[in-house]
Amino acid sequence: MKRTLWLAMVVTVLVVASLALVGGGTFAQSKVVKIGDLGSKVGVFEGYGKQATMAIQLAVEELNAKGGVLGHKIEIITEDDDTKPGPSVRKAEKLILQDDVKLLVGAVSSGATLAVMDVTKKHKVIHWNAVSCAEFMRTTKFHKYYFSNQPDSRMQANGLAKYILDKMGKRVYIFYTDYAMGQSDGRQFKTAIEKLGGEIVGVAGAPLDTKDFSPWFGDINKTNPDVLFVAFAGTDSLRLMTQLHSFGMTKKYKMAGIDCFLLQADLPAIAEPMEGFVQLNHFSPYNPDKDMQAFNAKYKNRFGTDANITSGSYDGVKFWAAAVEKVKSFDADKVSAALEGMCLDGTHVGRQCIRKADHQVVMDMHLYRIEKGKNVPIAKIAGSDSIGEPMVGKDPVEGFSWEIKKKK
Amino acid sequence: MDYLVAILLPQLLHGLVFGAALGLLALGLTVIFGLLGVMNFAHGELYMLGAYAGIATIGLTQSFWVALIAAPLLVGALGVVTEVTTLRPLYHREPLYGLILTFGLALVFREGARQIWGGEIRRVMPPVTGSTDMLGMTYPNYRLFLLAISSMLLLAIWLFFTKTRAGILVRAAVQDAEMLDGLGVNVPRVFTFSFAGSAALAALAGLLLAPIFTVYPQMGVEMILLAFIVVILGGMGSMGGSVVAAFVIGITQSLLTLWMNPQRVAIAIFGIMILVLIVRPRGFFGREGVLE
Amino acid sequence: MRPGEYRALVVFAALAALPFVPGMSRYYLLLAFDALLFGTIAMSLDLLMGYTGLVSFGHAAFYGLGAYATAVLLERGYTSLPLCLAFSIVVVGLYAAVVAYFATARRGIYFALLTLIFAEVIYTIFRYTQTFGGSDGIQGLPDAHFWPGVPIETAMQKYYLVLGYLVFAYVVCRVLVASHFGRVLVAIRENEERARFLGYDVQRYKMVVCVISALLTGLAGAIYPMRSAFATPDLMVWTESGEFIISVMIGGIGTLVGPIIGGAFFTILRDKVSSYVDWYFIVIGLVLIFIVLVMPKGLLGIRRLFRRTVEA
Repeated sequence: MKRTLWLAMVVTVLVVASLALVGGGTFAQSKVVKIGDLGSKVGVFEGYGKQATMAIQLAVEELNAKGGVLGHKIEIITEDDDTKPGPSVRKAEKLILQDDVKLLVGAVSSGATLAVMDVTKKHKVIHWNAVSCAEFMRTTKFHKYYFSNQPDSRMQANGLAKYILDKMGKRVYIFYTDYAMGQSDGRQFKTAIEKLGGEIVGVAGAPLDTKDFSPWFGDINKTNPDVLFVAFAGTDSLRLMTQLHSFGMTKKYKMAGIDCFLLQADLPAIAEPMEGFVQLNHFSPYNPDKDMQAFNAKYKNRFGTDANITSGSYDGVKFWAAAVEKVKSFDADKVSAALEGMCLDGTHVGRQCIRKADHQVVMDMHLYRIEKGKNVPIAKIAGSDSIGEPMVGKDPVEGFSWEIKKKK
Repeated sequence: MDYLVAILLPQLLHGLVFGAALGLLALGLTVIFGLLGVMNFAHGELYMLGAYAGIATIGLTQSFWVALIAAPLLVGALGVVTEVTTLRPLYHREPLYGLILTFGLALVFREGARQIWGGEIRRVMPPVTGSTDMLGMTYPNYRLFLLAISSMLLLAIWLFFTKTRAGILVRAAVQDAEMLDGLGVNVPRVFTFSFAGSAALAALAGLLLAPIFTVYPQMGVEMILLAFIVVILGGMGSMGGSVVAAFVIGITQSLLTLWMNPQRVAIAIFGIMILVLIVRPRGFFGREGVLE
Repeated sequence: MRPGEYRALVVFAALAALPFVPGMSRYYLLLAFDALLFGTIAMSLDLLMGYTGLVSFGHAAFYGLGAYATAVLLERGYTSLPLCLAFSIVVVGLYAAVVAYFATARRGIYFALLTLIFAEVIYTIFRYTQTFGGSDGIQGLPDAHFWPGVPIETAMQKYYLVLGYLVFAYVVCRVLVASHFGRVLVAIRENEERARFLGYDVQRYKMVVCVISALLTGLAGAIYPMRSAFATPDLMVWTESGEFIISVMIGGIGTLVGPIIGGAFFTILRDKVSSYVDWYFIVIGLVLIFIVLVMPKGLLGIRRLFRRTVEA
């Protein structure tokens, strides 16, 4: 009887395993090439992940309408990474080893993207990051197959710090989300402000996906800064701004934030708390720039909503396709070599060029003030002014300390 | 003085608000523990379902107030069904089965909610908006409302348990269900009724906290452990103890944030809890021998 | 050799041949790695649940601590496999001794809750302080080495590593269960008072089996970063402990082999449905409820039930 039980179980396992094999086996259709779309499709950053999927879809539809790439139809495989490093690695392995994707676009959370970089490096797959902005990606973690057109923390801090000190105030409090992205933004921003002679009066980190921020407000009020700089994203930003506003703090302090702080689509819903907020963005549908307007019209025509910063993933697919066509091969080494220094027109912000040294697109950024739920452009920061020296292999945070330097 | 008003007072208020809401959640948990000897892992999911039932009702009626009545009723009804079909067969078994069973229930509820409403984070607009300026600080009206309504509910529950026959029956069942059975009381009905009440309380807490915390399928998983801690600290099965512990945790947590990063506070709370358990293994008001 | 051991040998031999099955991709080998690792953990937990009657809701902490122990060493360039395993034994062992000391003083549901709380302390510390990378954990670890010059880098090497560990853990559990010690554990499960009257120091037995189960789980954790190249706090979140319990229950409590299959089954199911629609979790939840409800009596009941249905 024990034998029967055994057999029953072994058979079950075998059946499941074989089902898995059959189900996973790709029915070889020649002339299809797969690309992976990995990121946060549900949860705190779902807005970014879903919009990135739409942008990728737009690019693939355009390419497929013209016959695909190298005569192959492009197929997108979308995976959710749970916004966590662990699952993102497993999903990246699945995309690469099982689905055999030739390009991986993602992820959203910097923590996840950094983890995925190890996988794309190991398995030699072109990896395009269009949303994450931690400073390690084009420095210590950089590898041959990694490319990005998202301004990273260093670029954002260089762009924003000067404006804040000139126009908003000298005493700044940094409130950041305590994982790769927020820590990176906080560090780079603190460095930039202190270099320009401003004073950081306080720093605090709140965990990713914090539900109630009010426990942190006591410390902010205690230090009474001129400017409250917030490095958050997604629904964290929504909750934070709603709560700051209900405690009267959006009126008390001048507020400024990072590139991915809030998506366009979320703005109207919290227009009142966001009034007067200064935000850095490389793309906005409210920017009169004709390239952005042209792209936004195309995007809106397809999906019925405005485009946003995650549309960088549209460019990622286009860049990759152009490089593949150029070298007539999907080979990652060849494609990577072709991408280095490549320029492309018709991206979501017009012409983009990839800097050879650290595979970063040199991108202009814009400062906006939010008025009645709309981004009003107030300044433009040239990409060449903010990108800084390539620091591949160098530690971008060497000598950094969170310590507050007291000014007398 | 300035420091007192501008810094200390708001923190104290945070503590009270959070403590009161936590008390609502923990109270149902501790009643069920006292009755069935089961730490209900699905309690967090009932809390989550309360918020979703609220959203559904608000969608139909455009009224938060209607939802505040409908959500606990709907989730309470689900509680009745759950109790009768799954927990009742386990009355005379070791409570460990109940523990594992409720873990399964939690899984089914959570993934069920994800199927019905999706994994997206949803927002609930507070029915009370604006902020009040008092004593030189600004405090959101909704949180004041939350404090008021939670306190009133806690008071009403206290009155129910001390002044009504039904309440006294439930308390008697918590003490000694067999004795009650001997007295000719329909004990299973008391259990079912209590479970439904506990579910309704969780649902109320879920909907009341929804405007602050937002709504998503895993919201229960994140809350339930805090509620467990409250119940254990208060003394398992002690209703008064749970309410006291909820306020103690709420206030300690918010006061500690004045001197340390709130992230460290989360660790400190566990440290305090382990100390308390070493000194008083049964929590503040725990009785000896309850299900040991 | 008894028949049961022959069968185990056959199964292990079949598993050893798995990498040579045609169509076995690197991806499936890694999936098999995860399945066997999860199975091993479920089996270690079964030592507590099935043989001693203790339900631990804190095994994720042993697993996670083991993983972090390896990750910390790998990160600093100490890539020797024996060193990583030894360090995990020390770290997990110390923590397990403390947990076991306090938790085994209480019975039933209190044991479950105390293990849960202790595990949550560990989770909170790793999640909310930046010492070990906070919520991002430790990533980008180098490959470990069997011994200097022989890295564990291919999927096949990793698979055999975990298979080797599974066999080791299985033998440990089998020997333990068959020994006098194991019979005392069963006696404790059946009637703790009687075991005490017979002169056994019940708590000491419980503590020892707790630590053994924790160490087996911790070692599984120590192996995990050698495949994944990361350790994050999510490994020790309490729902993970719940999944270990589910695996034990699905596979068949108190059978050792059942939980291995349950764990493997659970992992494969979780991985195969790769979209973000997790309806299958509802099914798993329902199966769990069903198993709890129709179990006739005692923790051994499910085994009897299985026997009866299989015989029928």
